[in-house]
Amino acid sequence: MTRLGFVLASDSCIGCHACTVACKSEHDVPLGVNRTWVKYVETGSFPNTGRSFTVMRCNQCEDAPCVTICPTSALHKASNGVVDFDDSRCIGCKACMNACPYDALYINPATNTAHKCNFCNHRVEVGLEPACVVVCPTHAIITGDLDDPTSEISKIVARDKVSVRAPEQGTNPKVFYRGVDQAALDPTRSRIADDGMIWADTTPDHPTISPVMAEHSGNGVIGRTAYTTSHPMTWKSKVSGYLVTKAIAAGVMGIAALLVVLGHGGSSSAVGILPAVVAGLFIAITGVLLIADLKQPKRFLYILTKSNTDSWLVRGAWILGAFAAVTGLWGLLDLLGAEGAYPWLALPQVVLAAGVAGYTAFLFGQCEGRDLWQTPLLLPTLLAQAVVAGGSTYGVLDLVIDVPDQSAVRIATLGGLGALTLLIGTELVSHGSRSVELATLEMTRGAYARRFWAGGVALGLLAPIVILATPAGSTSVGTSLAGACALVGLFAYEDAYVRAGQSVPLS
Amino acid sequence: MTLINHPPYERWHDWTELDAKAWPERVERHYALVPTTCFNCEAACGLVAFIDKESGTITKFEGNPEHPASRGRNCAKGPATINQVNDPERILHPLRRVGERGSGNWERISWDEALEAIGARIRTAITEGRGNEVMYHVGRPGEDGYTERVLSAWGVDGHNSHTNICSSNARIGYQSWMGLDRPSSDFANAEVIFLISSHLEAGHYFNPHAQRIIEGQAAGATVICVDPRLSNTGAKADHWLAPWPGTEAFMLLAIARLLIENGTWDREFVRRWVNWETYLTETRPDLPCEFASLEQALLDAYSEYTPEQAEYICGIDATQLREIAGIIGKHLSKFASHNWRSAGAGNLGGWQVARCLFFINVLTGSVGTPGGTSGNGWNKFTPAPPKGGQPIKEWNEMNWPVEYPLAYHELSILLPHFLNEGRGRLDTYFTRVYNPIWTNPDGFSWLEALSDTDKVGCHVALTPTWSETAWFADYVLPMGIGSERHDIASYETHAGRWIGFRQPVMRRYAELNGEDVGPDNRTHEYNMGEVWEENEFWVDLSWRIDPDGELGIRQYFESDERPGTPMGVDEYYGRMFAESVPGLAEAAAAANQSPLEYMRDRGAYAVPGDPYRPYERPVDPSAIDGCVRDESGVYRKPNTEGTWDGSKESLQELHLAKLGDGSPAVEVDGELKEGFPTPSKKLELFSSTLKDWGWPEYATPTWIPSHVHWEDLDLEGDERILLPTFRIPTLIHTRSANSKWLNEISHRHPLWVHPSDAERLGIAENGLVRVTTRIGHFVISAWRTEGIRPGVVAASHHMGRWRLEDAKARSWGAGLAKISNEGSQWTLNRSKGMNAYESSDPDTERIWWNDTGVHQNLTFAVQPDPISGMQCWHQRVKVGPAQVGDEYGDVVVDTEKSREAYLDWLSKTRPAPGPHGLRRPMWYARPLKPVPEAYLL
Repeated sequence: MTRLGFVLASDSCIGCHACTVACKSEHDVPLGVNRTWVKYVETGSFPNTGRSFTVMRCNQCEDAPCVTICPTSALHKASNGVVDFDDSRCIGCKACMNACPYDALYINPATNTAHKCNFCNHRVEVGLEPACVVVCPTHAIITGDLDDPTSEISKIVARDKVSVRAPEQGTNPKVFYRGVDQAALDPTRSRIADDGMIWADTTPDHPTISPVMAEHSGNGVIGRTAYTTSHPMTWKSKVSGYLVTKAIAAGVMGIAALLVVLGHGGSSSAVGILPAVVAGLFIAITGVLLIADLKQPKRFLYILTKSNTDSWLVRGAWILGAFAAVTGLWGLLDLLGAEGAYPWLALPQVVLAAGVAGYTAFLFGQCEGRDLWQTPLLLPTLLAQAVVAGGSTYGVLDLVIDVPDQSAVRIATLGGLGALTLLIGTELVSHGSRSVELATLEMTRGAYARRFWAGGVALGLLAPIVILATPAGSTSVGTSLAGACALVGLFAYEDAYVRAGQSVPLS
Repeated sequence: MTLINHPPYERWHDWTELDAKAWPERVERHYALVPTTCFNCEAACGLVAFIDKESGTITKFEGNPEHPASRGRNCAKGPATINQVNDPERILHPLRRVGERGSGNWERISWDEALEAIGARIRTAITEGRGNEVMYHVGRPGEDGYTERVLSAWGVDGHNSHTNICSSNARIGYQSWMGLDRPSSDFANAEVIFLISSHLEAGHYFNPHAQRIIEGQAAGATVICVDPRLSNTGAKADHWLAPWPGTEAFMLLAIARLLIENGTWDREFVRRWVNWETYLTETRPDLPCEFASLEQALLDAYSEYTPEQAEYICGIDATQLREIAGIIGKHLSKFASHNWRSAGAGNLGGWQVARCLFFINVLTGSVGTPGGTSGNGWNKFTPAPPKGGQPIKEWNEMNWPVEYPLAYHELSILLPHFLNEGRGRLDTYFTRVYNPIWTNPDGFSWLEALSDTDKVGCHVALTPTWSETAWFADYVLPMGIGSERHDIASYETHAGRWIGFRQPVMRRYAELNGEDVGPDNRTHEYNMGEVWEENEFWVDLSWRIDPDGELGIRQYFESDERPGTPMGVDEYYGRMFAESVPGLAEAAAAANQSPLEYMRDRGAYAVPGDPYRPYERPVDPSAIDGCVRDESGVYRKPNTEGTWDGSKESLQELHLAKLGDGSPAVEVDGELKEGFPTPSKKLELFSSTLKDWGWPEYATPTWIPSHVHWEDLDLEGDERILLPTFRIPTLIHTRSANSKWLNEISHRHPLWVHPSDAERLGIAENGLVRVTTRIGHFVISAWRTEGIRPGVVAASHHMGRWRLEDAKARSWGAGLAKISNEGSQWTLNRSKGMNAYESSDPDTERIWWNDTGVHQNLTFAVQPDPISGMQCWHQRVKVGPAQVGDEYGDVVVDTEKSREAYLDWLSKTRPAPGPHGLRRPMWYARPLKPVPEAYLL
């Protein structure tokens, strides 16, 4: 077998950026994005000051999270071990950008597809070294076959002290660093100072340790990032919105099933056609949001036609589809007057609703670059959110319809809210990895603190709990107000969570 | 699996790669690979243009593995050449000014019109005896000798250069030791690498040197870098020494003294090759004139240069200096050092930095040795052109003023002041890849002079791209970049000699395609638009100056193959390669090619020969026939400066050597040796020339306190030393603003300031700073860093480019500015920085950065070193928070104050005549050495 890898010899690297430019030239990489770049980190104090140079790029992981998550196998592992990509399959979902723990991928603004270092596989194919290797003045980029014990790279990896980036992610990188400064390799150990970088502008898209993270994370920041490149946040409001809309859809059907189980199956359209229409509507919005977030929306069907079945994006699409079908059937039963079938359909409907609500835990779990999202509590959190969203939606609907057992809905909602409070509280007080702590800091004390506390906690949890737990909670106005608060709060929480998860720099 | 780094040379004419964008689909791309030479920095690295056979355009540039210096590798600026070729804003046609000079209105003209008009002007100037009103002012030329020959053929002493904003000090430092004015360091074989430079990111010569420094370091060499701010080189060095600016020479002398004190110096080398007899006679007549006296004499002379005193003066720990001297002393003959700009270019008396640095080379016997430092002349090869020129008869005082007899070379920065003083005027002024308004100190004085048509009759800008100076030209003539022109270049990059051949690759591609490319064709037919090259331009222009040959000029440009017609580039270089490059004709024959074809196919050639200890080469006794042996063992030749009796009458019989006084040999221990091109033929510890020309106190390696010496500054108050010159690896002066990739990486140059200084000066984090110089001030943002000595602030000189109209003369690095003045009070305000816009390149809409920097050089007065003429770049400044009304990028200058500063510095000089009434020592190098009579004042 051939397993191609790089040694990036920081001890020889002079920080000249020739590799960056040669790469731009070879691949016609547009302004604003980079397949490879050189990071500068300064440490120490005068006259014992250091500046290290570290080449950043795709780590050619043996167990590449980007390949696993890519719904259409646009990203794939070639037979020579290179993690390569096929532009023609990419739908621009950006999942790879969250799966990658190394900031290696970007959306090419010229093609609206995800690109990264592919080892110049088109050159390797004809026997040529990658462009960056050829240009490097100091032979600081060394390539070769890691499976060939006589290759220069194998000897270096065997004999010299080499490191890899983020080994804790378990990706098994085939890119090794020699003579590297830990402050440069670990993106949480240095930050861009407030007066910027050495010779380039700093934009909001330049990821760095935020002031809050730096202030409250002990003595972790030991260097100053003097040069790096921008990596804009990829999943924003549309993804936060999608989490809410599908929670509503799943939750509404879940509550409807609950009402059926409680014996209200035949009582009214509030258990039949209405939840199906509402869930259908929100599942449709979910789909629209998902497609709108694609950089190649016209290719959305590739998820089904060019599926990578390992990807939870694909599995999620199946679940959403099945849920939509069963929900449609649910509505149809009401129209056909076949209410008697509801008890039979309640179980599959609940299972699918749980799938819709919960599959994102597995999808986010595949986002190896976002440690905040790796928590095992995410699945119960999503389920509880669905209950709250469903109950809240029923609460709002109570204004216009007659809900057969509003107290059951209220108890379920309160239960959901209680569970959610417990889960979020547990998450906040438990000690995670440094990345998780930094993301949590950003969520609770940094840029997203208002969204989290005022929106997610005060509006989304405390307000509905207070309303529903008091007599006001048994009035239509009360339930609908509590519902509205919970839903708006849910969005605020999701938005804080989604963004905070992406706030820890990866490179 | 084994991968190769470059396409094998034999397949360059027909090479196939796969399309990167189509991959993983296999779409073949067929290329012709044509070698050329990079035109960005001075290193002249090899490039190979990949010409797509389907589209007939250049797709990319990679390195040239056949190039002995760059060895197939490049810095960022090499592959960025493709940006410069395809830059949407490049000048594609000859332009002539419409309306007032500087108004920014142009009309497109033909090359014929340009040649006719300019040729007629020059003809008139020459026939009216005003030949020296024609001036060619070149930035970094990137070629060897071509244009100098053209000027010589015109009989015009009109060569002006950028040297005194760059390297005059280093040149004098080296030249005063060995006659050769540049170091050539053998880093790859060194055991100690001592850099007063930032060779791993800039330096002279960045990529070739960086390769070899890192090679040397990997093989165990200790790298020592001296720089008051943490350069990337300082970061890679084993020792980063950040002395007070201007105290470097002191520190070096302290190291030299330690070597002597420790007994770790190469006595035998010094005995054989240093003019110690003169040193002892001149400085210690009390001691017996024998080698044994030297040690005591040196210890006495440098008794004050103790490590402890160095710690006080330089701010470098005495223990560290002892450690470093210990390391150097253990590696005799393997000490490779380099200084070119840096401290040399920054300080009054900075020429002594190179002189004191090379002192360590001399003491360690590391001169021309494997792992030592050689002289450029031994590792550079300039082939003779097939035709020469006429003798230059008249001395050009605008370039070689009487006040600076020892300057190396032209006093180019003083040109506007000379014009103002009425020392002369310019009839036709060519600026070639030279942007004095932006690059030089005191740019507003340049702007004033260039705007005045009485002072500058006609300004022709020869440039590949827009510049601040081109805006004030009468003609803007587009000249090609690295892949669009013919040039020969050779530089002392390592122990070895080579020549590189730059060529217009599309012209070569046409030839490879079987097109008939003959002497009647011109390169602008193959380049983009009508972009031309100087080689053919000068020939055609000379033809217009002297169409019928009556001025005696045409003959130097006439073809021998086709008499009566201009000599084409093929004939010129064909003959040069066949006749003037040792071994090339044989190598070509072995490859079954003509020498020209051989070079067109490979782009470079390693000239054979042993690079080491050339001064030890034996001299054939026949060479000293008729010579006189003087008491120091030098064989002096009749009719050379070495035997001149000083009389006016015999002056015209003298033959001036290009370098040295023409003495062919020196006797060392009874053997005839080639020696060094100095008057003593030895390394000159004592420079009689400096003594004879009025500077006896500096005849030996000496520390001269700088004009920014820290003890003279109010450091408790707001005075600081500004280092405004440093380069960064991705940009190259005024030449790289048309590369999008380079400017994306680097586009701001905040003021480096130590956090303790920021606090003391009240500079807020992320705050604006006003930096006040002698003649004005500028407003810049601060960048706190531990990578700079407290008391010193620094900003790279690369940024601060500007343009005056939004939609004209755009680049990836120039911000929009407004210039206004009231009398001598000039103001430049930045209207906006970089912004996205629509063009033929979609990337202009993706410009994401805004900063374009601050044009700080405008606020620097001319500060020419009284000996070398070097602009002493470091500035004594006041630094404080911005004041009310200050905006980022503001520049305010009073040119009246510029004139005061000019006169102030002028008063430091000791003017000619020197001995025998001369303007300049005749053995000193000089572009276009005139006839000996012209040397008489």
